[in-house]
Amino acid sequence: MELENLTITSFHNGLLSREFSALEAIQVFFKSIESNDKKIDAYLNLLKDDAISQAEKIDILLAKNESVPLLAGVPLAIKDNILIEGKKTTAASRILENYIASYDATVIKKLRSAQAIFLGKTNLDEFAMGASTENSGFKITRNPYDLNRVPGGSSGGSAAAVTANMALAALGSDTGGSVRQPGAFCGVVGLKPTYGAVSRFGLIAMASSLDQIGPIAKTVEDAAILFKEIAGKDEFDSTGVNHNYSDELLASPINKIQKFKIGIPKEYFVGGIDKKVIEGVEQAMEKLKSLKLEFKEISLPHTKYAISCYYIIAPAEISANLARFEGIRYSSILEVEKKAKTLKDLYFKNRGFGFGEEVKRRIILGTFVLSRGYYDAYYAKAQKVRMLIRNDFVEAFKEVDVIISPTTPTSAFKIGEKTKDPLSMYLSDVFTCPINLAGLPAISIPVKKYKLGGNELPVGFQLIGKPFHEADILGIGQFYEKI
Amino acid sequence: MISKKDLENLAELARIELKESQENKLLKDLESILKYFEELKEVDASVAASMIGGTFLENICRSDEYLNWAKLDGILSQFPKKENSFLRVPPVFSAESGSLPVRQAGVSDEE
Repeated sequence: MELENLTITSFHNGLLSREFSALEAIQVFFKSIESNDKKIDAYLNLLKDDAISQAEKIDILLAKNESVPLLAGVPLAIKDNILIEGKKTTAASRILENYIASYDATVIKKLRSAQAIFLGKTNLDEFAMGASTENSGFKITRNPYDLNRVPGGSSGGSAAAVTANMALAALGSDTGGSVRQPGAFCGVVGLKPTYGAVSRFGLIAMASSLDQIGPIAKTVEDAAILFKEIAGKDEFDSTGVNHNYSDELLASPINKIQKFKIGIPKEYFVGGIDKKVIEGVEQAMEKLKSLKLEFKEISLPHTKYAISCYYIIAPAEISANLARFEGIRYSSILEVEKKAKTLKDLYFKNRGFGFGEEVKRRIILGTFVLSRGYYDAYYAKAQKVRMLIRNDFVEAFKEVDVIISPTTPTSAFKIGEKTKDPLSMYLSDVFTCPINLAGLPAISIPVKKYKLGGNELPVGFQLIGKPFHEADILGIGQFYEKI
Repeated sequence: MISKKDLENLAELARIELKESQENKLLKDLESILKYFEELKEVDASVAASMIGGTFLENICRSDEYLNWAKLDGILSQFPKKENSFLRVPPVFSAESGSLPVRQAGVSDEE
């Protein structure tokens, strides 16, 4: 079984043709984890027993010649801020170090009924706050292309696991770029769906007006298959929309794609971008031109303010969402508990000990921008600027169907390079966070197939679509990969 | 800009214990972050409506019915101390604080 070029479809065909059994496949993946994860540290927790028993069930179905769904037996990695019932779910935070989830997230439920297999839970920046996975409360994940560099974040563990063939695909969550940026850094595909497309029930909330769950995969087609499976409204996420996605998600017709006009936003091609990144995106545009797609320069004038806007709105929501974590209801931190004399004292000690530096910084910043005397200047202003940023896209989409940009201003940076200066870390989100503010779907696609062990760092480009037009960006992406 | 006293007040509101060294680092970080936010002053957003939340959906309600979606045992098992299905927490006021002892419904303040 050759892992390098395995996709969901080829995995499925391999199962059906009895090239390998589901159990054999799972064991190959666990072997890969055993030999690779010592140096990469993508996983926080493995779910080996459950995975094996699930694989055995699928093998029994196959032996009885019963039909199995496309995702049956497909080994997935799950970001550790997504709940799996009965399993540890930490969000890479000390405050949840001992927390056992009491229910399945909706996305997990859906993947379970599609008979996918969960290999384990992957590392992230604590509560998904960061762009490098260095903010994990437990360990630093390394980029499989260069172990001295970060895999990106916050879904760095999921992206690294897929890149290093320690999972066939993965789930991450994207609040300001946390699926697309690690996708770009690790040379894999990352899709951030439209706000409301996927239920967040069972995702540990960071910033509720921005969070979306999205797939990380080796190919656009795999990302599309996973997205189709997890999409849909449920009664536990009131922001959900029951959009009826057609099979076009999996295969858009070429004559439809060829009619698309692609916008090049001039504000996304300014100074401060790595030369290699610009070259990569230009290379991608050249390839897309061979599909006869038309390009047009457009303007998104408020792009410049997206970082400020995002880092006011996200911390404000974080300060509210993380109020629920006091080290009592979601398991306890024992050594702290013994010392506290009063309830308030326990709150202070648990949150002081349990939250890492970045989480504290964002809670304090969020508390500040919401406080009396500052609310209007920061939070209220940011909400208005957010509307302007969104309106830029509404205007642009009157002229074009899809927008192209770099996913990140640089390729993977070195471990430790940005940890001392939080603002420099925030600036990594410059091309991804406007999309969350506007609630749009976007995908990061590697410019080309990069070789693990080669000395080239991956570069990704981003395609941004109209709301609920995931089929457009997935369609272009699927044709792009075939060029 | 945020003074040390402001920061201590924010930490109090956010219920986060901070060490002296953490306070100093945070003050420095917040200063540079807030300085960056100054750019928003140049945006004329006077005519823009506010984008409140990530969606323009309104009045999304569901029927007010009890749904048993999670297993209670799973939730209770995470509590450090419990009494039947109640969470036991330390007293709200300590004996030394001189306040009257307070008992909350369902929560005992004695071991």
